[in-house]
Amino acid sequence: MSRYIIRRFLSLIPTIFIIITLSFFLIRFAPGGPFSSEKNVPEQVLQNLMRKYHMDEPMWRQYLRYMGDVLRGDLGPSFRYRDNTVNELIGQSLPNSMLLGTIALLLASLVGIGVGIISALKQNHWQDYTVMSIAVVGISVPLFVIGPVLQLVFAMKLHWLPLSGWINSRDGFKTLIMPALTLSFPYFAYIARLSRASLLEILRSDYVRTARAKGLAEPTVIWKHVLKGGLLPVVSYLGPAFSGIITGSIVIESVFAIPGVGRIFVQSALNRDYTLIMGEVIVYSMILVLMNFVVDIVYGFLDPRISYN
Amino acid sequence: MSRKIEKAVNEFNQQMKPVSLWADAWKRLRRNKMALISLWVVGFYALVAVTAPLFSFLDYRTQVIEHANLPPSLRPAGELVIEKLEARHALIKERVDEGMDSLKPEMERIEADIQKAKDELDTNPVNKKVYIFGTDSLGRDMLSKTIYGARISMMVGLVGTLTAVFVGILIGAISGYIGGWLDNLLMRFVDIMYGLPYMLIVIILMAMFRKEGQSSIVILFVGIALVSWLTIARVVRGQIISLKNSEFVEAARSMGASTGRIIFRHLLPNTIGVIIVFTSLSLPSFIMNESFLSFLGIGVSAPLSSWGSLVSEGANTMELYPWQLLAPAIEMTVFLFFMNFLGDGLRDALDPQSKNRT
Repeated sequence: MSRYIIRRFLSLIPTIFIIITLSFFLIRFAPGGPFSSEKNVPEQVLQNLMRKYHMDEPMWRQYLRYMGDVLRGDLGPSFRYRDNTVNELIGQSLPNSMLLGTIALLLASLVGIGVGIISALKQNHWQDYTVMSIAVVGISVPLFVIGPVLQLVFAMKLHWLPLSGWINSRDGFKTLIMPALTLSFPYFAYIARLSRASLLEILRSDYVRTARAKGLAEPTVIWKHVLKGGLLPVVSYLGPAFSGIITGSIVIESVFAIPGVGRIFVQSALNRDYTLIMGEVIVYSMILVLMNFVVDIVYGFLDPRISYN
Repeated sequence: MSRKIEKAVNEFNQQMKPVSLWADAWKRLRRNKMALISLWVVGFYALVAVTAPLFSFLDYRTQVIEHANLPPSLRPAGELVIEKLEARHALIKERVDEGMDSLKPEMERIEADIQKAKDELDTNPVNKKVYIFGTDSLGRDMLSKTIYGARISMMVGLVGTLTAVFVGILIGAISGYIGGWLDNLLMRFVDIMYGLPYMLIVIILMAMFRKEGQSSIVILFVGIALVSWLTIARVVRGQIISLKNSEFVEAARSMGASTGRIIFRHLLPNTIGVIIVFTSLSLPSFIMNESFLSFLGIGVSAPLSSWGSLVSEGANTMELYPWQLLAPAIEMTVFLFFMNFLGDGLRDALDPQSKNRT
């Protein structure tokens, strides 16, 4: 088992390496540069800027220099926000994004699993139909529709919740409610459908029938036998869900004006802020890859049918 | 030349009509009421989107500046304009009566506008227009705008899906049938691509390679198609591997059929069900991805608009003119909703064993 974990962990390194390399060259070969939008810059100043950020060197040297810096944990200076390093910019915004993403994921999985259990146990009753209709709506409505519509109803018309902002503002934690609900909704819906489907399959399986036949009380059957197997697909879905939540947060953070990593992502790509966008890609992919790794390991512990020898 | 086909018989030796996969699937689909309704709704959307240019009243470009920001209504625009002016007039008159004389010229100007609007009510044909979805800030019909937005969104969805299916089938079939080191190489590549945070890369691609003012729809297609074929390639590969050693393939090979012929005539037709299900389920996700990019302002650009860019425009004005957000938002949601139901229905019909799976 521990050998598998180590091997699996080591295999993360080439993945991250490929992601960094691919995005490095993708970004460098795009037309335009970080200083091309500034007009009337004298030739000499431009050349000095290029020299300062080592952009006058051949591509492969820039690449090696960047890789060396990244290995030392230095993501370089931002081209656009000249007073800040990328480390500072990400250090300030990442905790906000992490908080939002974690709440959304927890909300989606807890409510999704709960609702999935109820509708599997009440299959073809009204509870099942109601919940599953909501779930299909959930996977059909895009995030960027839910967000503005919630704002329209609960902030502009009813004045129950603040329109936008973050927990450091006057409204405090109330600002979290709408973004977290919006971000979790599609994943709640998917997790509810997934857990319902897999629980239904387990409920019909032979070992559950055996457990009932030997006279176990129904709650014991559900808790000990059905849930353990039935929730495995949900665990393996957490990886993709997390990656969806990361991309979704790009929209949510700009809709609700949240000072997170996602809000500056699109802008830094449009600005050609090479180092900032690279830094964000690296941080995002590390989180994502690590999350998938954790899910894999947890799955291995939960599913007795998997052996790593 | 007709060949006599031996009649199929059931276990009681009675003759029965052979049921093809398609007839069987259609029978199951017809029994699923929700899927049938979905089929009609999706068909209606497709029909409207395809035939929209034939109807001259669906005009999304003409700006009638007097008709700016009219709410959805079944009454002609002229009447709504007068109503709006009168409401404003009443508001200002109240202020003037309270003694705010500085507003007097404004009041007189509105009075003149009302008179002019009343005069033109019957003479100017433009006032006869009915905007059931309201208008935008430049006085363009929201119904036509959302229909033309639907055309772009659905086209992107369709092209994305077709590219995905085409490339996916090709790679999957080659990888599965030929096997060996080629299979290994291709599937490692697919694995790596799966590990990439692909929406992030598409966002970077779109933000950096699009040129302002120029239609960026080609880059959008490339960006979306780049990663979309992975799943179908895996599925087709799996199907081909499980089939390639079966007797009918061996028979074909023994008769000297070429590799291409075996793949395209014998193996692929057996995977068509999987492909259809994949297509119908991935169409909505493509539409969502495109609209996601357009909402962020890096999808289709200015003269063109899609559901995503319409929602994004509408979100800016939603406090005063909520219909500008709700019209595209509801239209898009309804389509995606029924498309998802149709996909589920098709999956249950073509692959009954998968029923109740998500």
